[in-house]
Amino acid sequence: MKMNYFKILIALLLVFCFQPILGQQKTITGKVTDANNTPIPGVNVLLQGTNQGTQTDFDGEFTIVANSGDVLIFSYLGLSAENVTIGMDSTISLVMEEEAGLLDEVILVGYGSQKKSDITGSISSVKSADLLVLPTQRVDQSLQGRAAGVSVLNTDGAPGGNTRIRIRGMNSILGGNEALIVIDGVQGGKLENLNPDDIESIEILKDASATAIYGSKGANGVVLVSTKLGNTGKPIVTYSYNYGLQSITRELDLMNATEYTSTVNAAIATNNQNGPPNLPFTDAEIASFGEGTNWQDAIFETAPIQNHQFSVGGGTENVKYFFSTGFIDQDGILLNTNFKRINFRSNISANISKRIKVGLNLAMVESKGSVTPFGEDVTFLGNSILVAPRWGAHLPVYDENGNYTKHPVEGYGPQDTWNPVASALETSTENFSLDNLINGFVDIQIIDNLSFKATVGRNVVETNNRVYYNGLTMQGLPVNGKPGNGSIFDSRLEFWQNSNLLTYSNEFEKHRVEVTGAFEQQVQNTIFNNIEASQFTVDATALDDLAGADFIINTSGASKRVLKSYFGRLNYAFDDKYILTATIRADGSSVFGENNKWGYFPSTALAWRVSEENFLKESSWLSTLKLRASWGITGNQGIPPFTSLASVSSDPGRYNYPFDGGDGVNLGLAITGAANPDLKWETTEQLNFGVDLSFFNSRLNSTVDIYYKDTDDLLLNRILPGYTGLSSITDNVGSTENNGVEISISGDPFVGKFSWNTAFNVSWNNNSVVDLGGDERIQFGGSLGGYGVNSLTFLEAGESFGSWYGYEFLGIWSENERSQAAEFGQLPGDQKFKDVSGPDGIPDGRIDTSDIAVIGNALPDFIYGWNNAFKFNNIDLSFLFQGSHGNEVFNQGRIRMEAPGDGASSRLLDRWTPENQDTDIPAFIDARTRLDANLTNMVSLGSSQNATSRFVEDASYLRLKNIMLGFNFPDELTKKFKLNSLRTFISATNVFTITDYTGYDPEVSSFNGNDAQVGVDLGNYPIAKTISIGLQVSF
Amino acid sequence: MKKNKYALQRIKVVCLCFASVLLSCENLEENPTSFISPNNFYQTIGQGETALAASLSAIWNEWSNYGYSYGYQFFKHADDQMNYRDLIIPADKGDYLWRGHYTALLNINAVLKSIRENRMEGEQEEIDILVGQAKFLRAYNYFMLVRLFGGVPLYTDENEDPTSNPLARSSISEVYDLITSDLIEAQSKLPVQWPDKPGRITKYAASTLLAKVYITMATAPLNATENYANARDVALTIINAGDSPYGLQENVHDVFKKENKFGKEMIWSFQSNSEDVQTSANIWGPGEMGGWSDCISNAFFEESWPEQPRKEAYLLTELVLDDGSILPYQEWGAQSPACKKYMMPYITIEEWNSYVSYANFPILRYPEVLLIFAEAENMVNNGPTQAAVEAINQVIDRANGWEENPNYPRVTLAMSAEEFDDAVIRERNFELCFEFDRYFDLIRKRILDVVNPETIENFSEDDYLFPIPQLDLAENPLLTQNPGYPSP
Repeated sequence: MKMNYFKILIALLLVFCFQPILGQQKTITGKVTDANNTPIPGVNVLLQGTNQGTQTDFDGEFTIVANSGDVLIFSYLGLSAENVTIGMDSTISLVMEEEAGLLDEVILVGYGSQKKSDITGSISSVKSADLLVLPTQRVDQSLQGRAAGVSVLNTDGAPGGNTRIRIRGMNSILGGNEALIVIDGVQGGKLENLNPDDIESIEILKDASATAIYGSKGANGVVLVSTKLGNTGKPIVTYSYNYGLQSITRELDLMNATEYTSTVNAAIATNNQNGPPNLPFTDAEIASFGEGTNWQDAIFETAPIQNHQFSVGGGTENVKYFFSTGFIDQDGILLNTNFKRINFRSNISANISKRIKVGLNLAMVESKGSVTPFGEDVTFLGNSILVAPRWGAHLPVYDENGNYTKHPVEGYGPQDTWNPVASALETSTENFSLDNLINGFVDIQIIDNLSFKATVGRNVVETNNRVYYNGLTMQGLPVNGKPGNGSIFDSRLEFWQNSNLLTYSNEFEKHRVEVTGAFEQQVQNTIFNNIEASQFTVDATALDDLAGADFIINTSGASKRVLKSYFGRLNYAFDDKYILTATIRADGSSVFGENNKWGYFPSTALAWRVSEENFLKESSWLSTLKLRASWGITGNQGIPPFTSLASVSSDPGRYNYPFDGGDGVNLGLAITGAANPDLKWETTEQLNFGVDLSFFNSRLNSTVDIYYKDTDDLLLNRILPGYTGLSSITDNVGSTENNGVEISISGDPFVGKFSWNTAFNVSWNNNSVVDLGGDERIQFGGSLGGYGVNSLTFLEAGESFGSWYGYEFLGIWSENERSQAAEFGQLPGDQKFKDVSGPDGIPDGRIDTSDIAVIGNALPDFIYGWNNAFKFNNIDLSFLFQGSHGNEVFNQGRIRMEAPGDGASSRLLDRWTPENQDTDIPAFIDARTRLDANLTNMVSLGSSQNATSRFVEDASYLRLKNIMLGFNFPDELTKKFKLNSLRTFISATNVFTITDYTGYDPEVSSFNGNDAQVGVDLGNYPIAKTISIGLQVSF
Repeated sequence: MKKNKYALQRIKVVCLCFASVLLSCENLEENPTSFISPNNFYQTIGQGETALAASLSAIWNEWSNYGYSYGYQFFKHADDQMNYRDLIIPADKGDYLWRGHYTALLNINAVLKSIRENRMEGEQEEIDILVGQAKFLRAYNYFMLVRLFGGVPLYTDENEDPTSNPLARSSISEVYDLITSDLIEAQSKLPVQWPDKPGRITKYAASTLLAKVYITMATAPLNATENYANARDVALTIINAGDSPYGLQENVHDVFKKENKFGKEMIWSFQSNSEDVQTSANIWGPGEMGGWSDCISNAFFEESWPEQPRKEAYLLTELVLDDGSILPYQEWGAQSPACKKYMMPYITIEEWNSYVSYANFPILRYPEVLLIFAEAENMVNNGPTQAAVEAINQVIDRANGWEENPNYPRVTLAMSAEEFDDAVIRERNFELCFEFDRYFDLIRKRILDVVNPETIENFSEDDYLFPIPQLDLAENPLLTQNPGYPSP
């Protein structure tokens, strides 16, 4: 073989050396069009045997220097490659045909790829171009509204903020519902760290036949990502730059200073049981205040965002490469917040011999975020977003000495909260993360039908999060004269994966078979170290000099998990019409209990390409009709390591005890967990029926899927009886169900000079908790003091995930209901609640804890997205609508904002009076009136008195997520500067939202520790609307 | 050529397979490093002590179990010293106490198991002392359980872990057998004193508890009267021991003072300090002094208590206002006196204003030793002896400030056995008030319906036991419920 190579080399050398003798160089020009005579830009034109080449321009034209007898190779994704030998002519006109239709497009599937026509499972593809549209350059955010059955929720709008992705609803209560992310075959990466420009394709696997091959990690769906490699031909260099300004989408409606102070007076005036009380403000003061401080303006600002992207990709027949770098710098709309991310990537693949191919991808992401903690991470008294709309407008940001105003303690307003501007500005945070992902592969064609591929991937993520509250913040107030309070959290995650696949494929007669067998192993190690320090001698050095802190608590931990798997897949197609797929995977995981270390996950699917049958084949209007059915079992191994083992652990507050007497405490270590050797994975069984249709030569496509999912053996903390000495044990009890329908329709109503592509998807998912292992209800979420919402979220068998429980608020008692109100001991102007039942189930004339019932649910009835892309000559326009219907939000912030004497909401101006009865804000009824009425109170709501439907709001919304208008510079200009293309664009994100929700954003969730807690709004970072301009150039 | 081609291929394949096998070296067993497994713990004295510390924390913590137990109405419903009494006992009455005791026992048994299996390293003498402390604590936990619930499942270091091994309830006498054998062993292994560690369990603490156990066994429900002699003997040993550091504080006002937290009168207590605080003392006081009135006493108690220095030391009956005027308890909002033992002057005003307390809660005090002796001696001899009279009179004299007090006379030999017994119980009521003992005295003397007529209406014989927790009954069919309470 070596000799053969040598011969070829000599021949080539001779060709090059003697080229001038062989033929004359001349300039060849040409034009490439498609079957409809539309010019095709971007077609690669390669001079065979060299790496010289070019691309067709916007008009489909190209120019290249070559000789007669040379062969030009024309290639373009989706079209059949053509070889054209140069003859006597110097011009070439070429028509390129589609590669046997879109259906032969190759789609990623688990551990491989398949032709789209052979797919038996339910898979959604997202175009890589769609990922580049958002100025935040976030792959996860870009998936919103793009794929049926995929729900992406921006739980907060902070720079570098979080999304929650759910594929076909939520299965698990304790095991986590995150989809598995697979990047170039390596499992476990993070979508938010990817540079969207690096992505070649992204596929979302939804049903069991697609995900069962991931075994005990596949139950929540899989997102497959593959990154780019260059194409054969001239290297393509691209650069893009984008600059935008972000601002808050809406502000809450608050009272101005005069309105606020007079409302406070009115509220305090009601405390007249012992005579008229002292009012905080005189009439003169009230009149003089005027508009006052706009606290929302004080903490929110317009913030810039910009990013740069640069990439080089190219290759020869044997080596392909792609290098890229991207940088994003985003300031946040809340003061003192910022996020920076830099990505590097180097992808190379090479055919080192005729049968062996190797590749190596290196990716590094470094991000630094500085976002003041909000939501469940911070004490609400120091949470700027939560507190700012509560401070009265009469208070200035700074007092007369230039210090931050402290809220006066005069019996009104949020006097225990901290100055919101101080909370934002004086907190310093830095969340640093360095994520390195390396993967390499070797692919060997052993003999003609047998190939072997080994992949090795390694991911190391280093995280360092610091937060420091200095002496001017609430959390950092001096204790014993020493201010400051902070923490440093360090962690390192190391993951490595090795997958080895052996594939046999063959075609004979009408049969096409592919069989894959594989062995895979994964190891993940995590260590962390957390230091909390306070009482610093020098506030300025703070976390950089921990020796200066008087009080330090140090904790650390480590964990490891191992997965070993064997799996196989059979793909069989008969006559290209009847297709069968079967997979089986065996997973052995270290987190499963001793008796259940191995789990087995089979799946099978059938597809029938009805349109290939003789009776439909010749149809002119129906291009594709494929019926699919699949069944399979996947698992969720979302158990933290060591859960199945008995454990002894420390907890200073709970177990330490002054055993010696004296002044100190002795360390206490208690048995905290019992062994559960039977602990196993959660099992999801899914049945999916689907129809793929396309009409008019694929000008109109539609996919409909119906699925049924049952998840059993749910991990729950089963409460143990008292004599065991333990409180609970993690066990597999409980089950949930998800059923739904997904419809997506896409098409190209217009092609040609004016083209319009549109894609619409809508998904319904019905989710219910079937069984909680003997418990009737499980309570979720702690409470935040001061809101009177001691318990809100429960899981209950028979109800949907995460239902809210409380009192049903029926409105305000009106004047002509005086006598009915009196039966409950209430006056007109008081809140009216539904008397659901007493202890024996019938309404009993009392409102107490037996009247608590379901008052709302955060999950939507359906979600949808609609994308449109127009093109006319040099102008392109695209826009994406995205929405959700039937979801609700518990607007917890309103509880304090609408509280008399406490809140600043303008709705307090609309409070009930006999003249203004059509409102849901209760009246300010003074104590003397109430005493004189001499009623017996029958309303005793307990510690959750504000868990009422008054604060449950419909948060259905329709949002214009993004609109972009671009202009492609004409060729005459680009050619002058030797550019392939130059495009400028202007785009707007989160342009407008149609919703009835009264908070900042209907897409909000403050508590995300568990999916059951979703949908509560308590001071989360609102999303911003952004207007940006940019340019893209490629050469 | 062909031969070469195939050979090369084969070699490649073999190499790769080899490499794959080499790379698969991880196994699926978990070996955690960041926490400990009970099977490889309890190997040093220090480790054993952490378990015992945790076991105490399981029953004594700021707001749980015996902490705030008076507030949670564990005993308030029946104790005639307390306000808000009625004998309607809900099915979840003792759930927290049951669970807290078994959590403590789980950890204590783990230590004893490790010692029994010879996994503990250390000098034999040190190990013995650890065994002594562990068995004392195990005995205490079961003593509380058996008095509250009756016979209970008996988990010791010889059982498999309770999670996978449900047991039926043992009989009351079986539980007491374990308690007494544990205490007898503890007594022999514990030191008389711990230099530098005043809070540790001592030899005579074990003896005191043993005497208390014997006297309880001699009374209801076991009524094993042969134990009166045992109680008398053990108590006498403590009283006569030359090396015992325990005795009465001369001045009754000094008993609960901060500096006497580990003084001669305090034999064993639930311990708290500034780093592990006790329940806020404000639970004991009336609103008029900034308290919350959670555990206010009652007028009946105050009225039955003759005036004496001890009454003033232990009971708050009036407040001195800022202007110097006196506000008697009848004019407080709660209209009931308050227990003074855990408030000022025994704690600082700073603790009171910060809603914390650093004080201990005494479980075993020296006066009880004297009173156990007196009660037992009276019962053994079917009438008081000189020794019995002297023992109880020490307590009375100290209560009277070592002076004659016609309102509260000393006890004489002329009393009958019954009169003397009543006098002992009465003395226990006043001396040991608000230290959990009154409730258990009412139980063991079967006088729940006698002491305060107000609660006779809801009384039934079933009220002498708490209900077994519903969840435990549901999960373990071997357990049976106490009479008069619902089963799940």
